[in-house]
Amino acid sequence: MSAAVVGLLGIAVLLAVLFLLGMPVGIAMAMVGFGGFCYLVSFNAGLHMLSSVFWDTFSTYGLTVIPLFIFMGQVAFYSGVNEKLYRAAYKWVGHIRGGIAMATVLACSAFSAICGSNAATAATMTTVALPQMRKYHYHPKLSTGAIACGSTLGVVIPPSVVLIVIGLSTEQSIARLFYGGIGAGMLLTLTLMATVVAVCRRHPDWGPVGPPTTWGERWRSLYGALEMVVLFLLVMLGLFFGVFTPTEAGAAGSLLALLIAGVQGRLSWKGFLASVRDTLKISCMVIVIVTGAMVFGRFLAVTRIPFDIADWVVGLPIPKVAVMGIIFLIYIIGGAVMDALALLLITIPIFFPVASELGYDPIWFGVTITVVTTLGAVTPPVGATTYVVGGMAGDIPLEDVFRGVAYFLPAYIVCILILMMVPEIVTFMPHLLR
Amino acid sequence: MAVLERVTRLLNRLFVFCGGMFLVGMILLTCANIACRAVWEPIRGTFELMGYFGAVATAAALAFTQINHGHIAVNVLINHFSPKTRRCLNAFNNATCALFFAVIAWQIGLKAHGFMQTGEVSETLRVIFYPFTYMVAAGCGVIALVFVVDLLRPLRSGPGDPP
Repeated sequence: MSAAVVGLLGIAVLLAVLFLLGMPVGIAMAMVGFGGFCYLVSFNAGLHMLSSVFWDTFSTYGLTVIPLFIFMGQVAFYSGVNEKLYRAAYKWVGHIRGGIAMATVLACSAFSAICGSNAATAATMTTVALPQMRKYHYHPKLSTGAIACGSTLGVVIPPSVVLIVIGLSTEQSIARLFYGGIGAGMLLTLTLMATVVAVCRRHPDWGPVGPPTTWGERWRSLYGALEMVVLFLLVMLGLFFGVFTPTEAGAAGSLLALLIAGVQGRLSWKGFLASVRDTLKISCMVIVIVTGAMVFGRFLAVTRIPFDIADWVVGLPIPKVAVMGIIFLIYIIGGAVMDALALLLITIPIFFPVASELGYDPIWFGVTITVVTTLGAVTPPVGATTYVVGGMAGDIPLEDVFRGVAYFLPAYIVCILILMMVPEIVTFMPHLLR
Repeated sequence: MAVLERVTRLLNRLFVFCGGMFLVGMILLTCANIACRAVWEPIRGTFELMGYFGAVATAAALAFTQINHGHIAVNVLINHFSPKTRRCLNAFNNATCALFFAVIAWQIGLKAHGFMQTGEVSETLRVIFYPFTYMVAAGCGVIALVFVVDLLRPLRSGPGDPP
């Protein structure tokens, strides 16, 4: 059997192990990669590769950025920051038709700037925003759809664990990816808000007008959100001017988040311990997937499949936009059945060389596929974020939550099309970086 | 079985505590390095110490993440299988994962032993680092134990119980 055939067989076995056995993704990738490597090289070389990859990956300085940014987000989460952010957004746009749903999207967007987790954003925004939307008789489809889709901004707007992992696995600058994510995240926020406007125009009774607020109340509401703006600026400006490495930005952001929460008395000892435990759990999950992908990547490298596929695709007699469209379609379908991070780590070794060969900007590709795969977080059958919202919404049937999400899906497609037509939305800021 | 479960739970708590300490250590070390660099000179060896601390924090959390079902799996099809099939698949997964992590623990343990025997030191600080490697091996060993406990649990609770 040729190495390429073994490689294709390895991918088939991996998919079978993932879907038919339900084995954890990172472990499955490591196991199949190890088996394939042993088959192609030797058992002893496989054992040596396995221990080296695990030790080297676990002790890589670059990966230490992951727990630090996750900790920053967890501290913000346990100190109830998004309640403040929601209140501020609510004061500014709550008085217009569909305004509370728009405020929810804006609050999700703001919280994403300090927390890179979809699930954490979805859980708290459901608790904070849903009762308000219920109070003003918002339609459940609009309210839950806005929360679920707004929560997906968590992985697009920096700091984002997905962007960090893409940076590490493609050897691209994490800071550049973060800055690319700002443009894409803002665009997605706008298209989601535009969806709320469009839905309310079609069904005016779905998003009734909220109570009026004075300008004084609006300005005062910003005071509560100010410290989070400071936190975000510290991280992003530090990266922009080269004062911090991404790891240092994560550590400084974590310490500042702790200080802010501590001074305001919003983080209890119990909350601190929960932040530490959740950080360990989430970052371990991410790093195990990264490590599994590394082992699987070693196996794929021996088979040379990624390079063969890249050469083959580049030689196809179709426009490069069509190739990119096919790649995005694969990501949309893949994202619907498996976790975005795992999907990206499995496919990046194959599609990143293709994008590079076709001449696409690597930062643009990394950020855009993040937007594409985040669509999977709200679509069935996986749609983890939708399940979180559905689970916490209580009396609203899950079908209605998914139907509500369906109204927002065109917003993602429009966002992706705009990013394809105007790549500068993503690439402009990273190119300004020192 | 009960003893094994108690030992695993105890080890897990010890490792989570360790992981938490190293996580806090990472934050403090990096912030101290930023401050020292700003006023005087950077702390030597921060780069490599961060790597070792990160390795221990991750390895220490392996078992805890597994116990809390934190490792992502694709359950789209599995959820449609019968309880009996799911029990069989779970048993197979737990057995293979236990074996796999036992092998990794053994191999990283051998690596640590090699570092100790040869007196290998880190590049900047020139200090031994095999204790960190041993801790990573131990973390892999504890998750292997968790998988063994998960494998044996249905035998104790009986085949009629839900998976």
